[in-house]
Amino acid sequence: MKLNTAELSTTASPHLFSRRKSDWIMQQVIIALVFPTIAATYFFGFRVLLMVLVGVVSSVFFEYAYQKYRNIPSTISDYSAVVTGMLIGLSLPVTAPLWTIVIGTAFAILIIKQLPGGIGRNALNPAVAARVMLKVFFTPWITDWVTPGADAVSTATPLEYIGHFSKSVSAEVPNLMQLFFGFELGGNVGETSKFAIILGLIYLVVRGIINFKIPLLYVVTVAVVTGLYSSFDLTYMMTHVLSGTLIFAATYMATDYSSGPLTPDGKTLFAIGLGVLTALFRILFNFPGGVGFAILIMNALTPVIDRYLAPRIYGHKKRPKVLKTT
Amino acid sequence: MFAFKYKREGAYTEERKERTEHLPIEEAPVPDLLIFPLAMHIGKPAEAIVEVGDKVKMGQLIGKKDGFISANIHSSVSGKVTDIKEAATMHGIGTCIFIENDHKDTPAAPLFQGEAPTDKQARIKLIEDAGIVGMGGATFPTNVKLSPPPGKTIDTLIINGAECEAYSTSDHRVMIEYADELVKGIQILLDLYPIKYTYVAIESNVHDSIEALEAAIGDDSRIKIKELETIYPQGAEKRLIKNLVDREVPSGGLPADVHALVSNVSTIRQVYQTIAYGTPLMSRVTTLTGEPVKNPKNLLVRIGTPIQTLIDACDGFQSKPGKMLHGGPMMGKPINSGQIPITKGSTIITFLPKEEVVADERTPCIKCAECLNVCPVSLQPILISNAYEQGDIDEAERLGAMDCIDCGNCSFICPSNIPLLENIRKAKGEIKARKENK
Ligand code: SF4
Ligand code: SF4
Repeated sequence: MKLNTAELSTTASPHLFSRRKSDWIMQQVIIALVFPTIAATYFFGFRVLLMVLVGVVSSVFFEYAYQKYRNIPSTISDYSAVVTGMLIGLSLPVTAPLWTIVIGTAFAILIIKQLPGGIGRNALNPAVAARVMLKVFFTPWITDWVTPGADAVSTATPLEYIGHFSKSVSAEVPNLMQLFFGFELGGNVGETSKFAIILGLIYLVVRGIINFKIPLLYVVTVAVVTGLYSSFDLTYMMTHVLSGTLIFAATYMATDYSSGPLTPDGKTLFAIGLGVLTALFRILFNFPGGVGFAILIMNALTPVIDRYLAPRIYGHKKRPKVLKTT
Repeated sequence: MFAFKYKREGAYTEERKERTEHLPIEEAPVPDLLIFPLAMHIGKPAEAIVEVGDKVKMGQLIGKKDGFISANIHSSVSGKVTDIKEAATMHGIGTCIFIENDHKDTPAAPLFQGEAPTDKQARIKLIEDAGIVGMGGATFPTNVKLSPPPGKTIDTLIINGAECEAYSTSDHRVMIEYADELVKGIQILLDLYPIKYTYVAIESNVHDSIEALEAAIGDDSRIKIKELETIYPQGAEKRLIKNLVDREVPSGGLPADVHALVSNVSTIRQVYQTIAYGTPLMSRVTTLTGEPVKNPKNLLVRIGTPIQTLIDACDGFQSKPGKMLHGGPMMGKPINSGQIPITKGSTIITFLPKEEVVADERTPCIKCAECLNVCPVSLQPILISNAYEQGDIDEAERLGAMDCIDCGNCSFICPSNIPLLENIRKAKGEIKARKENK
């Protein structure tokens, strides 16, 4: 075969590209979310699947409709709306009416994600913002804490058992094994089994999708702060670590690309900040959802963090002075 | 696999070396007509000192260095000058000397008679006369590197055998087959400079070259082989210095600023040839490869040989090439003529298959931070690219656009197909233009 020079492309370097594309990355997050979804279905029944489905369908619908209405290119094929929908479906208790999920996704997609400019532009994590909004405005419908089982009854959350300003764990709190695997535990469906979430976390780390530093530092910081507060009462610390939405949020929400820092040092500070705020909220105030507020606050601080922690460039003595962070 | 330090300062690009890494170097056929661009090095083009109709010998000076950063050019065959005109080269259109080969290889007198000079200045002069430039692709005159400005001493010599580009195997073969000459070349430099640390940097994926070098080094304890992680761009000068001696070349500075001298293996081998036999730089090892090439080869090529001669030597193509590159797929320059000649910096000619030359559609940045993670000089490529697209050249400069080493990692890794390096290059162009206008 002869060389046909007319057929040669002359675009500039580089000439090879990684095969990992944005849609593939989001698909990996979806796969990682399948683990807690299966666990939740096991503990709470098939209604969980319905909740996830409603979350996904409504998220994708709102994104599609918004972009159609604004006449801008559709981004539903990047799967990020699917991730948001799954997260919202999984962050509510099994008793939550389906319409609350629809309201949550509408808020997440339209107000939080699309208004600032869509994927990569949103300052706040859409799923977290939706969850906090629902907690604040729709409490009676979504905070019934249900323990799975035939005769589901509302119970207090493990954190309410601990109570604020208390330094030890009362006997009524589910034991650590229960908390870890999710047996006979109430709560938002996705966060019940820490074991399933950790499988998802391992998957994401092995696939190179998330930076392991963030969930690790986040959880360790919570442990350390609660440890300092309780003079390192191990049961107290571990109950905090394994209770509530901490591990779930640390894995799937604190690692969100858009709403977290870009810079390596920024990621470190972000994760530590999350841990400190979460622990303080839990110790000082008696309200559920400290994790959500912590994430939103750190999201809001992200541009400042990135600006001051811009990486030091090779061959320079100081970090560059950066004015913009997007 | 797992590293807590998430910033990798490099990317695990594909290697694709298997088709040529075990093939011995073959002598390429010498064509009837050779083409010598006067600009085959960085700096000022050489000045033609022959005229059309002149007879030349093999090794005869035909282009004389013009200025401090410039280099001599010698004919690699004997024959007749048939033309001096503009023609396509690796670096665009430029003046070239065309020499018709008489296939006699009548040699010109060597660069010195009798014994080689032992004096440092005389040896550096010899390297200058021989037209030696960095043969790893940078083509910076070697004599200039060897004469650092007063006050800048050299205590570290790094021999760069870290061939990090995909497909490249020419340095690898040079290290195996010319290990003795390479080590002798290193020893020549060690005798000239009070060097404390001497490292041959090799990527961990090429064990046979390590063995060959160990054998050649024998009991010379001054020379150490350093095995480095296989990661792109491991062979970038700035990264090598950082990884081997933990020093950072200051922004805008040279390796000599941190007392280091980095030189490619082929260059050092040429230094040996020049000091031992008085031969100027007339040939080099070039790999011609890529999936479309039927029988890819590592070839010992006379400078001035058109690429087409090498394609024929490799029996043409087995599938349609979509891109022809002077260099590898990360930093190579696209070229589109088989008449372009091999020059001093031609380590590899890569052909990429047609199917791989696709432009995927750009999608919005998802802020995955991968471009930061892979940047070998810790830039924030997406921010520079955004600043450029917003017309904010000041911000691009503050973000360190000028420190970018063009490695291509950011564009390679971006899952959203954002033309990061393209934008950074344009930003650099504007920053330079503004400086010149001031
Ligand atoms: S091309 Fe420049 S900005 Fe991009 S990764 Fe390489 S050095 Fe960094
Ligand atoms: S690699 Fe691409 S998508 Fe990821 S942060 Fe950089 S520019 Fe954005």
